[in-house]
Amino acid sequence: MRRPRTIGLAAVGAVAALVAAACGGSSGGGTSGSSSSSASAFNAAVTHVVNPSTHKGGTIIFDNSTAPDSTDAGNTYYAFNLNFVMLYALPLTTYKSCPGTTCGNTIVPGLATTLGVGSDGNKTWTYHLKSGVKFEDGTPVTSQDVKYAVERTFDRGVLANGPSYFASLLAGNAASYKGPFKNRSKNLMALNSVDTPNSSTIVFHLNQPFADFNYVVAFPQTAPVPPNKDTGANYQNHPISTGPYKFQSYQLNKQYTLVPNPQWKPSWNPQVKQLASKIIVNLNVNANDIDNRLLAGDIQVDQAGTGVQAPARAKILSTPSLKADSDAPINAHEWFYYINTKVPPLNNLHCRMAVEYAYNKTNMQTAYGGPIAGGDIATTAMLPNILGFQKFDLYHALTKPSGDVAAAKQQLQECGHPNGFSTNIAYRSDRPREVASSQALQASLASVGIKTTLKGYTAANYYGTFAGVPTYVHSHDLGLLAGGWGPDWPNAYGWGWALYDAKAIVSAGNANISELNDANINKWFLAMEQTTSKSQSNAYANMINRQVMKDAAILPAVYAKALLYRPPGLTNVYVQPFYGMYNYGVLGTK
Amino acid sequence: MPDTLLEVDDLHIHFPTDDGLVKAVDGLTFSLERGRTLGIVGESGSGKSVTSLGIMGLHHGSNARITGHIKLDGEELVGATANRIRELRGSKMAMIFQDPLSSLHPFYTVGSQIAEAYLVHNQVGKKVARKHAVDLLGRVGIPQPATRVDDYPHQFSGGMRQRAMIAMALSCDPELLIADEPTTALDVTVQAQILDLIWDLQQEYHSAVIIITHDLGVVAELSDDILVMYAGRMAEYGSAEHTFDEPGHPYTWGLLASMPRIDEVRLERLVPIKGTPPSLINVPSGCAFHPRCRYAGFTDGRSQAEVPELREVAPGHLVACHLTGDQRRKFRTQLDLEETEASAARMTKGDG
Amino acid sequence: MVTFIIRRLFATVFLLIVVSMITFAIFFLIPKLAGQTSYQLAIQYVGRNPTRAAVLEIEDKLGLNAPIYLQYGRFLKAIVLGTHYNSGTSTTYCPPPCFGYSFKSQQPVWPQMVSDLPVTLSLAIGAAVIWLVGGVTIGIISALKRGTLFDRLSMGLALVGVSLPIFFTGLIALELFSYKWPIFPNVQYVSLTTNPLLWARNLILPWFVLALLYAALYARLTRAGMLETMSEDFIRTARAKGLQERTVIFKHGLRATLTPIITIFGMDLGLLLGGAIITEVTFSLHGLGLFTVEAVQNQDLPEILGVTMLAAFFIVIANLVVDILYAVVDPRVRH
Repeated sequence: MRRPRTIGLAAVGAVAALVAAACGGSSGGGTSGSSSSSASAFNAAVTHVVNPSTHKGGTIIFDNSTAPDSTDAGNTYYAFNLNFVMLYALPLTTYKSCPGTTCGNTIVPGLATTLGVGSDGNKTWTYHLKSGVKFEDGTPVTSQDVKYAVERTFDRGVLANGPSYFASLLAGNAASYKGPFKNRSKNLMALNSVDTPNSSTIVFHLNQPFADFNYVVAFPQTAPVPPNKDTGANYQNHPISTGPYKFQSYQLNKQYTLVPNPQWKPSWNPQVKQLASKIIVNLNVNANDIDNRLLAGDIQVDQAGTGVQAPARAKILSTPSLKADSDAPINAHEWFYYINTKVPPLNNLHCRMAVEYAYNKTNMQTAYGGPIAGGDIATTAMLPNILGFQKFDLYHALTKPSGDVAAAKQQLQECGHPNGFSTNIAYRSDRPREVASSQALQASLASVGIKTTLKGYTAANYYGTFAGVPTYVHSHDLGLLAGGWGPDWPNAYGWGWALYDAKAIVSAGNANISELNDANINKWFLAMEQTTSKSQSNAYANMINRQVMKDAAILPAVYAKALLYRPPGLTNVYVQPFYGMYNYGVLGTK
Repeated sequence: MPDTLLEVDDLHIHFPTDDGLVKAVDGLTFSLERGRTLGIVGESGSGKSVTSLGIMGLHHGSNARITGHIKLDGEELVGATANRIRELRGSKMAMIFQDPLSSLHPFYTVGSQIAEAYLVHNQVGKKVARKHAVDLLGRVGIPQPATRVDDYPHQFSGGMRQRAMIAMALSCDPELLIADEPTTALDVTVQAQILDLIWDLQQEYHSAVIIITHDLGVVAELSDDILVMYAGRMAEYGSAEHTFDEPGHPYTWGLLASMPRIDEVRLERLVPIKGTPPSLINVPSGCAFHPRCRYAGFTDGRSQAEVPELREVAPGHLVACHLTGDQRRKFRTQLDLEETEASAARMTKGDG
Repeated sequence: MVTFIIRRLFATVFLLIVVSMITFAIFFLIPKLAGQTSYQLAIQYVGRNPTRAAVLEIEDKLGLNAPIYLQYGRFLKAIVLGTHYNSGTSTTYCPPPCFGYSFKSQQPVWPQMVSDLPVTLSLAIGAAVIWLVGGVTIGIISALKRGTLFDRLSMGLALVGVSLPIFFTGLIALELFSYKWPIFPNVQYVSLTTNPLLWARNLILPWFVLALLYAALYARLTRAGMLETMSEDFIRTARAKGLQERTVIFKHGLRATLTPIITIFGMDLGLLLGGAIITEVTFSLHGLGLFTVEAVQNQDLPEILGVTMLAAFFIVIANLVVDILYAVVDPRVRH
C-alpha cells in the first residue's frame, strides 16, 4: 500500500533537521512546548514548529486576495478567519495549538476553565469561566457577555454569516427567538435555553443530546461581546478584544491593523501568543502579487491560506532554498463529485459503482493541480485528518489509477446498461480546477460508454440555486455534481453530517447533494450525537466513511493540498491541522 | 523686356514615386509682364497647378525635383533658400485657391486670417492689421465689413468666401497674383462677379495675374495671353485673341470643340476629345498627344518618335506640333466644315 | 449655450435612471428567468448550511422578497431622499445620495465609493496627463518626420503598446521594476495628502502601464490626424501666405488635429473615472475598479448599483464636457 506522501517527506525533513541541529545550525532561543526541531526544510512545518521563538517585536503583514466574510468574530465562517480571529477573540473552547493531527485536532479549554461536561444525557452543558479575564477596555468578562454573544447570532438580518448550530440545537424559546436587537428591552438576555446562574458560569440546554457540543462552542460565536458596546452590523469596525491583540484601525475591504492588547494575559489562552508589536492585514490584493511580495519578504503571510498561485509554485518547487521554506499540507479540504442517488439511472447502486470504477483517478488529480498543488488521490469520503480516519480503497483507485474499465463494465451489466448511459455533470464554471476536472471526468466516463454533458454554473449561485436545490437537480438530470468540503470540526460528525445525513437535506442551499438516505449512516450519526466516547466516535467515523463509499454516493477526487510559503523571518510557524494552514495565533518575527 | 515680372525658363518639376518618376512639368517656358494676365489651360493632370505651386515654392517639403529657372522680378527662385521664398510668399506673390471653404481655416475668423497674412510680412500692431483687413473686405465688395471681419468662413456664402480669399491674397499688395481655378467651385452668376473683381483689382494694383483653369470661357474673359499645357508640356502659347481665332494645336482644337459656346446656337453635341489624359510616368513617346490625335498619322511617324519643338507660327504665337502650316490650315478648315454640316443635318432632322 | 447645458443635464438624469433600471433588471430578472426564487437568491448572503429561518430573515432584511418595482422604488427613494438604516443597536440616517448598504458587510455603499474615488482619480488623471502629452507629442513628431526611422520605430512600438493587455504589461512591470530590480518596491497606494512624494512614486508603475496603452493609441491617432490635417487645403493656404512653418504646424495644423483628439480624450478619461478595473486589480489599488470587481464577485447588489451609476455619471458628464468643449473649439458646431 502506498504511503501518504506527506509523512514520507516529513520524515526526510525531520532527518535533515536533526542533521542541521547536529552541525550546530539551529536558531532561535527556547521552544514553545511542542516538537523542538527548528531547522527549515520542505514540509517541516507540517509536523514541527519551525523557528520556535519567544522574541517579541516586529510587524507581521498579512495580505489576502479577498476579504473575510466579517471581522466580527461572531459573524464569520471562513476557515482562515476562524484561525485569525483567535488573535482578538476568546471562545469557550478552542484547538490545541500544535502541528500534527494527534495534537492539533485536540479540543482544549479556551475561556472556559475545563471542557464542558454533558449532563442529562448530553443535553445540558455547563462551563465555568476563567477568572480575571477582561475586555480590552478593562471591563471584566462575565457569563452574560458570553450569553449575549450567542444571542446576537440569532438575528440573521444583522449577522448573517456564522454557523447555525445554536439555532438548531438550543431548546427553550430558541426556535422563535429573534435575537437581542429587535425590541431590545424585551429580548436582551431573553434566550431562556442559556442560563447564567452567576457571572462565571454558563449553562446550555439543548433540545437533543449532542456529544460534540464542545466543538460547537469552539466557534468564535461564543467569544464574549459586551452588550452595551455592541454596535450590531457595525461591530466589525472595532470588535472589543479578549485576545492578545486589539483593533487599532479598520478600513472596510482595504486594511485593518491590530496592536497588542495591554490587558491580555497569557494564562487566559495558552494557545495564542503576543509577540509581534503590530499586525497589518491588507485585503483584496492581487493574488499573484501576494506571492511576489511573500517571496520578496515585503509581507509575511498570505491570510487566505490556500497556497500560492501557479507561477510562484513553479518557482518555489524548482528552487531548493525556496522549497525548503515551504510546506504542502493537506489544506483541510476534500474535492469530490457528488453522485446523486435519485437521478436515474444513478439511482441504481451498480450504475453509481460503474462510475466509481471507471473514472481516471490520476487525470482527476492532475486536473485539480497534480500531487503538490492539487492533492493526494482521494479514495474515501472523508479527510485523512478526521479523528478515527482509516484508509481504504474500494474502487481500486490506487491499484488502477487510470480507472478500472473491466470492473466498471461489469457494474454496467449489473445495473442493466451494458453499453453505458447518459447523465449530466454540474460544476462551477468560474473555478478553473472544476472546469478541468469535469472535462477529465467526462473523458474517462466516455471510455466505458457513459455519455455526459457538462453544465457549468456560477459559484455564487451554485449551492443556492442549482446544485443545492434538489428539485433543480432532478429536473435537470444532474447526476454528477462537483463539490468540495471542509469540516466544521475534526470528527466525522463535524465533517459529514451535513453531507451524508438524510436529515440534512434541505430545499435550497443543500449540502447533502447526493441525497443520501442510508438508514445505517443516519443511525450512526444519531449515535454520535449521543456518545462522548472517543473510541466509539472514531469507530463511527470509519463506519460512516466506508458506508458512504459502499453506497457510491461520493466520487472522491483529491485530499486538497496547498503549497504554503513561510518567509524565513517568521517564527513559530506550523500547520494547524484543523485549518490546514499556518496557525496565525502564535506567529512572531525574528 | 522692361516690365517683365515673371520669367519661367525650361522648368521641370519631377516627383519620384514608388511607381516611377512623375514628370508633372516637363519643359515650361513663358514670361509675364506687370499688368497682364496669363491664362494657363489644360485638363486635369496637365501640370498647371504643379506649375503654380512651383512658382510659389510650395513644393518645399515634398520630394519634388525642380530644375530650370523661375525669376521673379529678376530674382531666381529655383534653389533659393526656403526662408527667402517664404518671405516672398504672400508679400510679393500671392495665390488664391479653388475651394474657399476648405482653403480657409475653419477655426479662425476671416478677419484674423487676413490680418495674419498682413502681420507676417509687416511690422505693425494688431489693431492696424485688423483695420487693414476690414478695408480689404470692403474693397473686395463684402457688405458690412466691420462686422463680418469677425465671422467664420462657414458663415459666408460661396462667393463671399472667395472674395475674402482674394482679400487675404491682396493684403500685402502682391505684384504677382496666381488664381488656381478661382471660380470652379462657384455658381455661374457668382463666377462673373469674381472675375470682374479680379479684373478691377488688377487694373488698380497693376499686378500680374496668372489664371489657371480648365474653363476656356474664363480664359477668354480675362486673359491677355494663353498657355495651353498638355502632359506637363507646352502645347500652345500665344495671345488670347490669336489663340482663339486661329488655334494651332490639334489639342486646342479639341478643347474648343468640346466647349459649349454661348455665341453659337448649340446645334451639335459637344465633341469630347477621345481618349484620356496620359500617365505622367509613362508619357507617350514623341508628341505626348499623338495617341489621341486624329492627325498623328500625317506626320510620317514623327509624332510617335520625336518630341515636337515649340515653333512660331505667327508673331508671338507658338505651337508644339509636327504638322506643317499647310496641314494645319487644311485640317482646321475641314473641322469647320464638319461642324457646319453636322449642324445642318441636325436642323433638317429637327433636333434644334 | 445655457439651454443646451440644461437640456443635457435633464438627459443625464434620464440616462442614469435607465442605467439603474437595466442594472436592476440584469441582477434580478435574468436569474428569475432561469427559475431562481428570492429564497435561493438570499442563500448566497448567509453562511454555510443556514437554517430556513436564517435565510428568510436575510431575505427580509435585504428586501429581496419584495416585488422588483418595490425594491427599485426604495432604491430611488434612498438616492433622492436618503434612508434610515438599523445596524441592530442604533438607527442611522443615510443622507442622499444614499446608495444603500452592502449586502455583504451591511455598511453604507456611498462612503466606500467616496473613499475609493481618490485612488481612481489619482490613477486616471495621472495616466491621462502622461498619455496625452506623450502620445500626442510622439504622434506629432512622427507625422512631421513621416517615413523616418523615428516614425517607423514609434509606430511599431505603438502597435505593440496597443496590442498588449494591461494585465500582461502590468505584471511584467511589477516583475521587473518592483521585484527583480527593486526600483519601485512595495507598490501600495499612499494618499496625496499623506505623502505626495510617496503617492507619486507608488503610482508611477500603474501610471505608465495604463498610459502605455492609451499613449500608443493617441500617438497613432495624432499621427493620422496630423497627416490628414497637414494635407488639408487651409494648410496650403497658410503656407501660401508666407507663414513660418512653425506657425503653420502649430497654429494651423495642430489646432485642427487636436479637436477630435480632445474629444476622444474626454471620453476615455470619463470611462476611466468609473474605475480602471484591470490596472487596479493588477496593482491592488483600492479604487472604484477594484470595488466593482469585489461587488460583482460578492453579488452585492447595492454596491453594484452604486458603482455602475457612478461610472455612468462620470461618462455622461465627460460626454457633456466634451460636447461643450467641442462647441467652444470648433465654431462650425455653434451655428
